[in-house]
Amino acid sequence: MREFLLLIRSEEEPKANLSPEQMQQHIEKIGGYLKRLTEEGRMKSAQPLEMQGTMLSYKNGQIVDGPYNETKEIISGYYHLLAKDLDEAIAIAKQDPRFEEGIWRMEVRPIKHVEGIN
Amino acid sequence: MSDPNLTRSHELTSHFFRNEYGKLVAVITRYLGTENVETAEDIVQEALLKATEHWEMRGIPESPKAWLYTTAKNITLNVLKRKKHQRDYANSIERPRLDEAFSFSEEIIEDSQLKMMYFCCHPSISENAQIALILKILSGFSIVEIANAFFSNEQTINKRLVRGRKQMRTISFDLDSKDVIEERLGSVLKTIYLIFTEGYFPSHKNSVVRSDLCLEAIRLAKLLTESNNIVDKTDCYALLALMYFNISRFKSRISDDGEIIDLKEQDRSKWDAPLIQTGTQYLNRITEGNSINKYGILATISANHCISPSYEATNWVQILALYDQLLLLEDSPIVHLNRIVAFSEVEGNEKAIEELFQLEARSDIANYYLYHFTLAELYKQCSKHKKAQLYYEKAFHLARNERDKELLQKKINTLVLIPPSQLS
Repeated sequence: MREFLLLIRSEEEPKANLSPEQMQQHIEKIGGYLKRLTEEGRMKSAQPLEMQGTMLSYKNGQIVDGPYNETKEIISGYYHLLAKDLDEAIAIAKQDPRFEEGIWRMEVRPIKHVEGIN
Repeated sequence: MSDPNLTRSHELTSHFFRNEYGKLVAVITRYLGTENVETAEDIVQEALLKATEHWEMRGIPESPKAWLYTTAKNITLNVLKRKKHQRDYANSIERPRLDEAFSFSEEIIEDSQLKMMYFCCHPSISENAQIALILKILSGFSIVEIANAFFSNEQTINKRLVRGRKQMRTISFDLDSKDVIEERLGSVLKTIYLIFTEGYFPSHKNSVVRSDLCLEAIRLAKLLTESNNIVDKTDCYALLALMYFNISRFKSRISDDGEIIDLKEQDRSKWDAPLIQTGTQYLNRITEGNSINKYGILATISANHCISPSYEATNWVQILALYDQLLLLEDSPIVHLNRIVAFSEVEGNEKAIEELFQLEARSDIANYYLYHFTLAELYKQCSKHKKAQLYYEKAFHLARNERDKELLQKKINTLVLIPPSQLS
């Protein structure tokens, strides 16, 4: 089994315009999906990220805020997942019911692993 | 290691978010004042959004209500802090101090929801706006959902809400007075019944939204019966009885293709016995009182249908007597029209047609497609198919929505299939 980090991306806060009923449906759908993966032992961690936070970089000998992306895209959460290979991780990601809402993107990245060291 | 949060998730009751939305907006408005109801709506939307973000990943907490109430309270306090110096809040001192007295106790929730219902149904607000306000504020429907339910668009619904909220600011009445509560109950019941009727007489094939509206109307009426502020609940029970009897036939009155099936042709085995039972229990509670209102009469008529084993065995004599009683309370062309079916079953089709012509002569009922539809049905039963066709066509031209037009077109088509020799 290999480890993967799935980054959930979206424009600003896409859930803000959902109705209360749709929010509940969203929770129930995603909750069911995560529960199944957890029971299968594939989901190591799933966390939402706060809207706040900053981007830091090193410039002219000091750490500064920014630069920020031009787009309004943010990472609103992540999954830490176990899968056989990249194909399987992608297949699992595609099952996420959030895609039905048409407002999400997901980045699937294998966590780098060097044989015999970590 | 799996995330332990994900494995011990709790379940939400159905429509939890919608119902909690209504409770929270009502309570927060109690502290912010009705002029700030929109701020309260925004606060609650934000609280639900926070809950969504946390619960989708971490599972639903053991006490979702407590979680929501704390979150909503904190957001409200932050909003107030931000607006502290604004003139709007300068007079807020008279209101209960939020930080000290913010409470989501059962009593406060119940009392706040009742008062909010009365505000939304104030007669100075147009009926359309009352319905939109109630569904948005107390039922947690979004503007899009209301627009879908009423086959309208977001812009129109939003306009109604804006106008309604504006009107709400000008209303002042003492809802701590039991007399005022009593006096205005009728207008609240009326709006609830309008919401129910909108769901019950589907003007479109979207049956899911429809039954949602009916069930929401029932939930709102139940809030009234649970209130300690209302002393005489007879009228609330009557409306609930009526709604329960009517939804008991829900499944049998829509075909698989989404078409309405006439009472005559409905499969009575599909009628929902437990719902009829509940309706009967409410009906029994009103007969204990000594007066009967419009809803009580309509409920008794509906009960007569529910307990009859077949269309033919229906006690039309009693139903006709009930309609006559209803006319004494509400002498409107629509009631006359509804009475005609019972009248024709008791007195015959010819006399019923005669009655309809008399009704037309003294009212503007001929502008209403159901008048012509009823005439057509009566002529059909007398085997006067040419006349039936004429009136179906008149009904077709007056019908306002596609679904009714479709149904009427079908009726016309089946008439055309009858060989000309039988047309008279």
